[in-house]
Amino acid sequence: MNPIDPTVHQALDGELPPETLAPALRRDVERLQAVVALLATAPLVGSVEQRVMAAIERPAPSAARRLLRWAVRPHSVVLRMRPVWSLALAASLLLLAVLPSPKFGPQLGEEEGIAQFVGRFPGARSVNVVGSFNDWGPVSIPLEDRNHDGVWQAIVVLPAGTHEYMFVVDGERWVVDPLAGRFVEDGFGRENSVLIVRPLRR
Amino acid sequence: MRLPLSLLLLCLTSSLAGQSLRARLEGRVPAASIPVLDSLVEVAAAEGLPIEPLLQKAIEGGAKHVSSERIERAVAANIDQLRQAKALLVQAGDTVPVAALEVTSVASALRRGLAPSMVERIVASLPNQPRSSAFHALADLTAHRFNPDSAADLILAAVGKGMQGLRLLDVSGAALQELQRGRTRAEALARVRAKLPNVPPAPTPAQSTVQGARRPSATAQRQ
Repeated sequence: MNPIDPTVHQALDGELPPETLAPALRRDVERLQAVVALLATAPLVGSVEQRVMAAIERPAPSAARRLLRWAVRPHSVVLRMRPVWSLALAASLLLLAVLPSPKFGPQLGEEEGIAQFVGRFPGARSVNVVGSFNDWGPVSIPLEDRNHDGVWQAIVVLPAGTHEYMFVVDGERWVVDPLAGRFVEDGFGRENSVLIVRPLRR
Repeated sequence: MRLPLSLLLLCLTSSLAGQSLRARLEGRVPAASIPVLDSLVEVAAAEGLPIEPLLQKAIEGGAKHVSSERIERAVAANIDQLRQAKALLVQAGDTVPVAALEVTSVASALRRGLAPSMVERIVASLPNQPRSSAFHALADLTAHRFNPDSAADLILAAVGKGMQGLRLLDVSGAALQELQRGRTRAEALARVRAKLPNVPPAPTPAQSTVQGARRPSATAQRQ
């Protein structure tokens, strides 16, 4: 290592004006000042160890680990809302909670129950159930064959109590429900099926 | 002055009742039948019999496109059954005027094939309470050829154990289940009797069934 003249140090530290130095020493001062300027503008570089470790390629974390990291790290959330939409949303939720929705089934009264009608009528175009609960037909209750397998059914809310009924197939054929289990003479030479609806709310 | 006024009120109410009766029957039964049915219903009302089952029967006949004569005959037969039911109730100790619902229940039990003696026994054993479920329970058993007296014994034993109303249908249901399991009728009755009053209740409909239920819509297609 070449020793540096102490006057050069002093000139670099600003203790001596460079003009007072010998020309050779002044050139040394100018070169060193140029090096210092260059170093000042150069980017910071880590130690050798740091550069080596950075050069080693780490395996990328799995998606689950990244998701977990994302989930456990705190995130700042900026919520920008318009009060009018928030109020509308709150009102909608309130309506959903208060109003009966068909999705959640009908609201049953104290003296009402559920009746399930099922009948096998392959090839039928329509099946309705009529009886004392609907004054024998002014408001018909249609059964549905959703799977197109000939099995028709309907689930309806009816007043609790005893009812007589029959199926009407294709609008003209009156058929007793063989699954009813209870039957009574209808006074016209045939039988009605008898249904006892239990109140659901007890 | 009071007598003519009450007579006037009676005439007025019967005239209004007649109008509403005709309004219910018009378009539902052959027009020619309406005057006959009107007079039959009047007779029933004068005897203190319930008239709703008669109107239902007439409307049922009209819906089934039965001839006028058969509708009138069926309604007249219903009046006879209601008369018999009322007489049975009075004979068994019910006080006059007999509740319309009870008359209807007894008439329905008779139509389901219960012997008058069985009906009378139930009526006398269950004073001052609804007997409709007891009749149905008994009729369910006799329809499956259980001995009527033994079946009535079971139902009344259930009543004696504090069971009433629709729970009585659970009793007949339990006996029918025992029958399906291969027991003889006598065994089935004995086994259920031994369990009383711990007969399993009828299953309630599943939540999904209730949610899928709909009310008969007033806008649905008319027959």
